[in-house]
Amino acid sequence: MDLSCEDVWREISNYIDNDLDPHQRAALGAHLGQCRNCAALLEGTRNVIRLYQDERLLALPAGFTKRLHRKLRAEIQGPPGSAFGWAVSLAAACVLGAVFLFANLHQFAQPELKSAHSQPAARWPAGPVAVSDDGKIFHVANCPFLHGKWKLVATREAIQKGYSPCVRCMREYLKVGRGPEAWEPGVEFAEEVESDGAQ
Amino acid sequence: MKRPMLVNVRRRSSDETPPAIRTEQDEQALVERIQAGEKELFYALIQPHERRVYVAALAILQNEADAEEVAQDTFLKALTHLGQFRWQAKFSTWLIQIAVNEARMRKRKNHPEVMGPLEEHTEEEGYYTPREFADWREIPSEALERKEIRNALVQALSSLAQVYREVFVLRDVHEFSIAETAAALGISVGAVKTRLLRARLMLRDLLAPGLDGTWTSRLSFQKGNKPWT
Ligand SMILES: [Zn+2]
Ligand SMILES: [Zn+2]
Repeated sequence: MDLSCEDVWREISNYIDNDLDPHQRAALGAHLGQCRNCAALLEGTRNVIRLYQDERLLALPAGFTKRLHRKLRAEIQGPPGSAFGWAVSLAAACVLGAVFLFANLHQFAQPELKSAHSQPAARWPAGPVAVSDDGKIFHVANCPFLHGKWKLVATREAIQKGYSPCVRCMREYLKVGRGPEAWEPGVEFAEEVESDGAQ
Repeated sequence: MKRPMLVNVRRRSSDETPPAIRTEQDEQALVERIQAGEKELFYALIQPHERRVYVAALAILQNEADAEEVAQDTFLKALTHLGQFRWQAKFSTWLIQIAVNEARMRKRKNHPEVMGPLEEHTEEEGYYTPREFADWREIPSEALERKEIRNALVQALSSLAQVYREVFVLRDVHEFSIAETAAALGISVGAVKTRLLRARLMLRDLLAPGLDGTWTSRLSFQKGNKPWT
């Protein structure tokens, strides 16, 4: 069956992307071999795509990387005494711990952390938490994985001394095998849209 | 739309090293080392992605200063959430997802009046009919040395509606796959294909006069002077 020019225009993009079954592709190829207009359309479209792939177009503004690094530096190196050191792993651990903590540790006040990007840690108990002398890890006071000599300290103090939360004891308390969930940017956007709509 | 996109033609200066070619395994190893605590490697991880993130934001915001801020916020967010990155997508797709969401949120804040359901339904139905059937004159890459050619290309892109611009930028400028483009924009594969077809044909129509001397007369993109309307 012969294709019309309109049929070709509809599929020209898929033809360029090689996203057609062999029969369609052959039919388009046959038409393009005979129709000057459609051949010109194809060549022109391919030419346009090629031009936009050139990095001279839409280049980064001068000084972009320098300004970006300046902005990232505080987060990467961390201000003195910052809790950022393990905020990333803590954020993941919080997904595990949050349900348990909200259910069982509501008597603890919420900690104040310096960095806004330590936000997920706001769900962590302010303390006391148990720190032992057999590792730089802090636990809930009755954690079965807490070994050696230990003492109770404020969470904030443990954080500042470089202790990390014990993810294993959280898993034990939660009694679920679920790992930390992946963070999806879209979720956050949806939440923001929702809360905007509620105003 | 506020200010039009400005053309920035600066090439990489000699003291900047060009992005190294990096395999996905290299990238995965880098991400794992950063997740394990070597956070200073984050600069190297993001270096090949800086332009993509910036251009993706620019495609949505059409403003260089806003796009740069959104790019910075995107990398900050990527850094703080890298511990939760689980390779549910390629790292580049994940980054662009963040950038697209940040840019859309910024646009909502800047233009609350034009955002909302209307924005989602600007897509025209039916197929696009190409207007210009003159024989295509090849525009060689060397033509991009000329500022008016670069201006024409950037202006043609910025004259497209956002839904076409963002698809074209991810698929054809960044060379994302159709599926990656769909994932990064949060739209269906079918919508990517439909919009991509239109975007490509509209751009070709806009640029069809090529180098035959009609650039300036043809490419005046004042409002209401879009050749396809
Ligand atoms: Zn034809
Ligand atoms: Zn424990």
